[in-house]
Amino acid sequence: MVNERVNHKWGMVVDIDRCTGCQACVVACQAENNIPLNTEAIFRQRRAIEWIHVERYWEGEFPDVKARFIPILCQHCENAPCEPVCPVYATYHNNQGMNVQVYNRCVGTRYCANNCSYQVRFFNYWEPVWPETLKNQLNPDVTVRSRGIMEKCSFDIQRLRKAEHVIEGQRGERITDENLREGNFLPACVQACPTTTLVFGDFNDPESQVSQMKEEHFVEGGRGYKLLEDLGTEPNVIYLKKVDIHAKTGVETHA
Amino acid sequence: MQKKRVAAFMVMAVGMGLGGLVTLLLVLFVARAWWTTPFEVLGFGGAPTQPIAFPHTVHAGVDIILDADGNPKLDTSNQEMNGLGLGCTFCHRNVDKGAAASIPPVEQCIFCHKSIGTDLPEVAKLINAWDNKEAVVWERVHRLPDSVRFVHEPHIRFFTEPGNLMPSGEQATLAANVCSTCHGDVAQMEEVKQVRSLKMGDCVDCHRNYSAPTDCTTCHY
Repeated sequence: MVNERVNHKWGMVVDIDRCTGCQACVVACQAENNIPLNTEAIFRQRRAIEWIHVERYWEGEFPDVKARFIPILCQHCENAPCEPVCPVYATYHNNQGMNVQVYNRCVGTRYCANNCSYQVRFFNYWEPVWPETLKNQLNPDVTVRSRGIMEKCSFDIQRLRKAEHVIEGQRGERITDENLREGNFLPACVQACPTTTLVFGDFNDPESQVSQMKEEHFVEGGRGYKLLEDLGTEPNVIYLKKVDIHAKTGVETHA
Repeated sequence: MQKKRVAAFMVMAVGMGLGGLVTLLLVLFVARAWWTTPFEVLGFGGAPTQPIAFPHTVHAGVDIILDADGNPKLDTSNQEMNGLGLGCTFCHRNVDKGAAASIPPVEQCIFCHKSIGTDLPEVAKLINAWDNKEAVVWERVHRLPDSVRFVHEPHIRFFTEPGNLMPSGEQATLAANVCSTCHGDVAQMEEVKQVRSLKMGDCVDCHRNYSAPTDCTTCHY
């Protein structure tokens, strides 16, 4: 029944300690969300579209050098800087705690991307083209964005909508971590992650893994933190910092 | 000199009148297509031509089947024939399970048509497709914009739940009762055409009436 809708607040926890920088999430996202092919030329122009990307940082001097990885995706901020600058309300915060992009409203001003603190909004500078052999791999549940449209991580809302229809509607159950996983309703990046760096769930559900991780780690002296927290954007994506027994204090980092 | 001027004036007046008329017709056409379904001219609106002239009247209707002249068709024992009265979900099987209502595979048509109506020219096309292992490429009648994700299943589920009356004021007991809300009385259509505008306003009006979600990402993602 429509009147008995369950309120969700979707969010993610990213455990940096587990990330190996394997890029499986990037590839999974690319395949799931009909993201245009990023060629070398596009990368050179810094116009590659990757809803989730793994940033790599070198730490220390050779030979005592360490690679650090951090997956960056749309933080789905509660106070999103991208939202108030859109002149056509193409991006807004929906009632499920998600910052969403409405493609058919977008007119391509790119204000949102310029105002985003996390560099996770991507503009389609060209009409997306796929080779003939890849035409049939496009996901029919996701709009193919045309030229002049801004796009970004949607937490794979197509899968969440399907979860609502199947789990809440047809079976009449509550959405839990287990039935999200069993029904393949988790976002593609989370599903593909081999080390369970990415954990997805409902912050409104106190039983969910993300809620419990938030409770456990997001305390004084805990590992939890949010990206650029001092900006006050209040992201719905929580990061858990790396546990490094060899870490030296005061070590210089090179980005 | 005077005569020439009058003639020129007449030509100009007629030309402007014609131009105005054409402009008016154009504006009318665009306005009608903008707000509801377009006028059925120049291939806009109306029913598309299907590769096989499939009559929903015969399969889904229950009335006596008429031929082109309006006389009832007779079967081999000279009896009048009624439509079969099949429910929509007999062929469009996915409608209460997923996003697309789904067009039945050729195989499903052949279940009956390997023995029924094999002498009819339209059925011969179907049997030919079956023999050649080809798909029948039906013309799509209802097409939403690419930015819209419509899922049949929750709509059918909502209206078949007890207590949720359809806009017609009836209670749907079967999934097949719900279809006519948006698709019109397909059982009476020789050729299926779109009857509702199915523009965003059309969807949102209904969503508001039934307090269904009107968040953009309900349909746009």
